[in-house]
Amino acid sequence: MSIRARLALAAVAALMWLAVAMLPVDARAADVTVIDKALTAPGTGTGPPAFGSTARPVKLPDDWAETRPRFDGSVWYAVTFDRPAEMDAQDLLALYVERACSNLEVWLNGQRIFSGGRMSEPVTRNCHYPQLVTLPGALLTERGNALELQVQGHALQRVASRLRAGGLSVLTIGPQSVLAAQHLKHRFWNVTIVEIVSVVLAVTGLVMIGLGLMNRREAYLSYFGWLSLAWGLLSMRLWWRDLPWDNAVTEFLVCIAYTPVTALAVQFLLSYVDLRSRWIENALIAQCVLLPATLLLAGPSRLYAMAAIWYPLLLLEVAAIAVLILAIAWRRKRRDFGAMLAVLAVTLGLMLHSVAVYLGLIEAPQWPVMQIVVPLMVAGVAGRLLYVFARSLRAAEDGRESLETRIAQVTAELEQNFAQLADLRVEQVTEKERKRIAGDLHDDLGAKLLTIVHTSESERISTLAREALEEMRLSVRGLTGKPMRLADALADWRAETVLRLGQANIEIDWRGPPEETDQLLPARGFVQTTRILREAVSNIIKHSGASHCKVRCTIGDHLFGILVQDNGKGIPMELDGKLDRGHGMSSMKHRAKQMQGQCLVESGPGYGTVIRLTLPL
Amino acid sequence: MTEILLLEDLPEIRSWLKVLIKQVFPDSNVHEAARVHDALELVSAVKFNLALCDLGLPDGSGVDVVAALRETQPECQSVVVTIHDDDDHLFPALQAGAFGYLLKEQARELIAEQLKRMSQGEPPLSPSIARRVISHFASQTQRQERPQNMPHVALTDRENEVLLRVAKGFTLPEIGVQLNLSRHTIADYVKQIYRKLNVSSRAEAALEAQRLGLFRR
Repeated sequence: MSIRARLALAAVAALMWLAVAMLPVDARAADVTVIDKALTAPGTGTGPPAFGSTARPVKLPDDWAETRPRFDGSVWYAVTFDRPAEMDAQDLLALYVERACSNLEVWLNGQRIFSGGRMSEPVTRNCHYPQLVTLPGALLTERGNALELQVQGHALQRVASRLRAGGLSVLTIGPQSVLAAQHLKHRFWNVTIVEIVSVVLAVTGLVMIGLGLMNRREAYLSYFGWLSLAWGLLSMRLWWRDLPWDNAVTEFLVCIAYTPVTALAVQFLLSYVDLRSRWIENALIAQCVLLPATLLLAGPSRLYAMAAIWYPLLLLEVAAIAVLILAIAWRRKRRDFGAMLAVLAVTLGLMLHSVAVYLGLIEAPQWPVMQIVVPLMVAGVAGRLLYVFARSLRAAEDGRESLETRIAQVTAELEQNFAQLADLRVEQVTEKERKRIAGDLHDDLGAKLLTIVHTSESERISTLAREALEEMRLSVRGLTGKPMRLADALADWRAETVLRLGQANIEIDWRGPPEETDQLLPARGFVQTTRILREAVSNIIKHSGASHCKVRCTIGDHLFGILVQDNGKGIPMELDGKLDRGHGMSSMKHRAKQMQGQCLVESGPGYGTVIRLTLPL
Repeated sequence: MTEILLLEDLPEIRSWLKVLIKQVFPDSNVHEAARVHDALELVSAVKFNLALCDLGLPDGSGVDVVAALRETQPECQSVVVTIHDDDDHLFPALQAGAFGYLLKEQARELIAEQLKRMSQGEPPLSPSIARRVISHFASQTQRQERPQNMPHVALTDRENEVLLRVAKGFTLPEIGVQLNLSRHTIADYVKQIYRKLNVSSRAEAALEAQRLGLFRR
């Protein structure tokens, strides 16, 4: 069984308990006398009239609409009773009048002992209030106590509801303690609870209006709020029994108040299924004008007739709209269709019942069903609306959270991409810049050096310029170069060395490593080694006077070595014991050191030169 | 009479080269140009025997002139004269049909010697150029698709052998000794290699053009 079903069962159980609890208490105890017959006489004076020839007997409860149609004013009732014999002398005796509409004054044995309020216009509106009158012991006699009641009431034609038409219920006389309990209970169910509910409705309405103001897209929240508030205010009229204007005005106001309530209900229902009709709105506004106009036109004496037309009409409108939205909800397969159907069916049923009671088609119930159950339904609907609202709020919150997470993810990705892009761009820009510098060097510096090479008269200068040009090209290659295979580098060095030495008529014996390797040499390493080797070969060609040159290349795991040996005359020593700087030895050593390698030179006059170059890979 | 095109933008170098050309080919008529545009005009007007082309020129690359000569005057020998000794610059020129290259900063005597050798059909070939030629043909054989009407250009075993040895750092005379071949035969192989490089590069270019055309269709 789902939680929903359990809740529904619990609600049904609670309603059943309420119904049982509200059954009338059997107050007809032994010492309680119920008087259902009285003498009546008309009278407007300040004291009881003489119940003479004009007096006639009536049965209680006396409904004026039947016994004296169109009568509007004051009626006197007279009964006699004996003090109940079984009653303790100490006990207070009381009279309980369940309904005296609109107001009542009580006289006992010629003395006025109770007044419910003003007896002339504006008459105090006590129709819904039960009255408990304590009968003073001093005025009572054992037998034949005369009780006279003056009831001020309105003709049915002048009120909008049969419940407010003039009349008197049965009179009950008994011990005050017993009747007080009965009075309290009746008053609670007919008045207090309606008052509580009206306050609850008004507060709910205000809350929903607040929510609606904050969420203008959810129009049904606002409509429901205003509906709830209007209904609450309408119900609160029970509180004010003494109004500064007469009955006609009050009834008129109550009657016209139902038009805005109806309009709000219709708008709420429509907006609940996201419908909006301009002409329905206009019609509802027109009705709010039309109804008072017709009432005014008809006059206060035909108020009941007008209400008998208008109330069913208003009910019909709401019912039609309810059926319409139920059909829409059914077609849209809304999940809350069942709940909507139940709430609307119960509400419409109760309203139908209520209108029927107003119009006197059925007997008024013991307690105002509509005033209690409908607000309960309203509270239920409000709860549901709040639940839906809270859920959508939660969903929105969740959505926002997931969105934030997603945004964070995307931002991170974006930043990563951007960083990668920036890196790539830096690489691209660097590469482009390298190429540009290389191009500029060639075009500008290169061209100038070239001009010097080919136009200088001096052999020395043109050689220097050529060397500078070579240096420049090597530098540029170092700038732009990618790593190259060591085997390829060795091939390049071999080809150049063999060519140069061959042109200088020096025999060359070059032996490379026995097998090929795939090791790589950084561009800068290639350039520097090329320079060292070129310098060494230049030395041999220019200075050594050698006839034979031996080159050995070895490749280890982390280093490679080149040995260049000639059979020339060796490098002469300087005065300070170092090798001749003019032979570029120091620059060769410096270059080797730059690559974390070393360049050892062994030389002596007469036995040639050995250069051992060792470089890391 | 030998008609020679000299394309070089620097006036000093140009006049110096002209002197050098006159020295090697005393019986020649040298047409000078400083821009690609001028050179192309000359190509359409004069029938050349030899062309010396610089690569980096103010209005473009000498490669275009080499390609134009290859297209319209196949019997003309194009030689690239450049300050760039790296094969990134040289290889495209060789692909376009250049028959060899001279490095500008080399000594006058060396250039004269090389020029003479080239005109006699002995073009130079460095290890790095050889490696690029090898990888060029390797990628050609791997390629499945081949444009129609284009002959399949492949190196012979001997040409391959020569290329591989050059790539390993052996000089052409050394290879001649190793393979027991004459200087002339080795030079012929190198010439063939250059020629085949040009033909296969043009085939490749045609294939590329066809593919682009297919895409546009």
